[in-house]
Amino acid sequence: MRRPRFGLWTVLGAVLVVALVLGSGILTSSPPTDAQRAAAVESVVRCPTCEDLSVAQSTAPTAVAVRAAVTQQIAEGRSDPQVEAYLVDRYGSSIVLDPPARGWSLLVWLLPLLGGGAAVAALVVVLVRRRRLSEQDGGGPGTGPGPELMPEVAAERRTFLARSLADADAEYLAGDLSDQDYLALRQRDLVRLAALEARMGRAAAAAVEPEPAMAHASVAVDERVPGVGVAAAHRAETGASAPGAEGRPRRRLRRSTWFLVVGCLCLTSALVLAVTTFASGRQPGQSATGTFAQTAAQQTEESLAQAATDENQGQVGEAAQLYQSVLHQHADNEVALAQLGWLEFETGHQGNSASLMADARAKLLRAVRLDPSDYAARLYLGTLLLQRDADATGAVAQYRQFLADRPPAALLAQAGPEIRSAFQQAGMPVPASVPGA
Amino acid sequence: MSVGPGVDGPTGSPTSPPPPAPGRHTARWVAVFVLIVSAGLVAVLATRPSAQTVEARNPLVDTHAVAPPVAGATVVGTSYRLPRAPGHYVVLNFFASWCVPCQEEGPELVAFQFQHHLRGDASVLSVVFEDTIGDARAYQQKLGVTWPTMADNDGALALAYGVRSDPTSFLIAPDGRVVASVTGGATAQGLNQLVARAEASGYGT
Repeated sequence: MRRPRFGLWTVLGAVLVVALVLGSGILTSSPPTDAQRAAAVESVVRCPTCEDLSVAQSTAPTAVAVRAAVTQQIAEGRSDPQVEAYLVDRYGSSIVLDPPARGWSLLVWLLPLLGGGAAVAALVVVLVRRRRLSEQDGGGPGTGPGPELMPEVAAERRTFLARSLADADAEYLAGDLSDQDYLALRQRDLVRLAALEARMGRAAAAAVEPEPAMAHASVAVDERVPGVGVAAAHRAETGASAPGAEGRPRRRLRRSTWFLVVGCLCLTSALVLAVTTFASGRQPGQSATGTFAQTAAQQTEESLAQAATDENQGQVGEAAQLYQSVLHQHADNEVALAQLGWLEFETGHQGNSASLMADARAKLLRAVRLDPSDYAARLYLGTLLLQRDADATGAVAQYRQFLADRPPAALLAQAGPEIRSAFQQAGMPVPASVPGA
Repeated sequence: MSVGPGVDGPTGSPTSPPPPAPGRHTARWVAVFVLIVSAGLVAVLATRPSAQTVEARNPLVDTHAVAPPVAGATVVGTSYRLPRAPGHYVVLNFFASWCVPCQEEGPELVAFQFQHHLRGDASVLSVVFEDTIGDARAYQQKLGVTWPTMADNDGALALAYGVRSDPTSFLIAPDGRVVASVTGGATAQGLNQLVARAEASGYGT
């Protein structure tokens, strides 16, 4: 029994340490971009019209307005606390999802810790008491003389069993227990009681006064269903129902192990949460509250959306930086690959830079390989082949794929002339799906 | 916890052994108690009139701040600007056509405007909040609204005033300060009282 539990503690300790290190964000700290800062602020600001959503999650018009305000404030160079203060000035402190850790709101932060501590303490007490009981229980009632039972422990257990029997009676009478359940419960308790009495008798202690509650129980029970209790006790003593009596202590131990594991996991997550909230320099919205994958995916998506916006507004530098940061975390993100490849191609084409062109080509080829049905990557690669290599045939091959992948009409209209000229240069008939005469 | 016999009442049958397990009937009593409380709450909330000029806390009112500028397009496409110091009281009313308390306060606002418009001491100015311009206009036409209504398409006005729910109204004093904020529907009488209070505390001209 000792060894496996020691191993369990070691594993749990290791999990705790790893979780704390990961949660503190020591390993993955880099200065956040404006978009990341905005996303972080947005995720801690409550949507004004929808109570328990952050403005990052909500699509309500007001949430959109708040998001726009946050982005603008950050672009104007305000710090995160200043942006939050700006919103608090208008909506009051409840606009921030996290209640402030001062005044009465401090209770909200402390109570879970206190409750958790109390729960852990209770757990320890219960486990220690259980183990003591099961150790005193020895190998169970059916396996010959066990170790001496301390008289007060025996009395306590007997009172407990008597109470249990009385409870079962009361519930049976109130109609809360079926006949079957009642008999099973009763039999279980009587078997235990009989075993206990047997051991107490063996201990040859001075006569113990029967507890009043127990006397009640025995009398009441035997009056109503005569025979059953006696029979059950008898069967137990002769070992007829050995499995029930024998299986008890082992199952109890296993359940305590479960309690231990669950309790420790709860404690671990509470600690991780506390550390991420209080200790680290991490942005509040980037916290790792148990959903690493989702948060990372969401961030990627937001970065990509922000980059697309920047690109549309002609802020190529910002967009490229965002795509870089996405690729830094997910080297195989084909959207970022294709878009960054395209930006590099455009810049390299203008500045006639061979190295940028090479980078662009590598990225676009990779994007096409990763997702053969990515029409944007096909279009970019085709254009690169046409303009850089004057390879009309290669470009047409890419453009054919592009057309086959059902690109949006706006993109098709934009790319129409380019595609048309590629087909003409390659001496091939222009497909009917290419717009523009 | 000790449950007295009076609370617990007769338990089970006479043959049942005393004392009965404590706690079992406590649950029943707790359930009954919760039921009564929630039924009472439902009764109170359901019979309460929704338009009764409930004042709400708002940072602008708490600090007696100068009203954030109201300027931009109206629902009919013209542009409107509220003077920095309007010279008379202005009820700035954020509303939506779908919201029931808004529909209840609508006639009250019309009455308020009617009472004060000729005297020139107060007027109403509406802002569409969480609604489409088309719906808001149709609703106002049916109501007979004569005052300007801001479209606030980007929600900037609602953000500037920290509006959380429909309907919310702000009372702007003649000197341009926000002196009261009302949520959940206003009445003409309630607004008049707020104006009188502001007058009494020296916010009038």
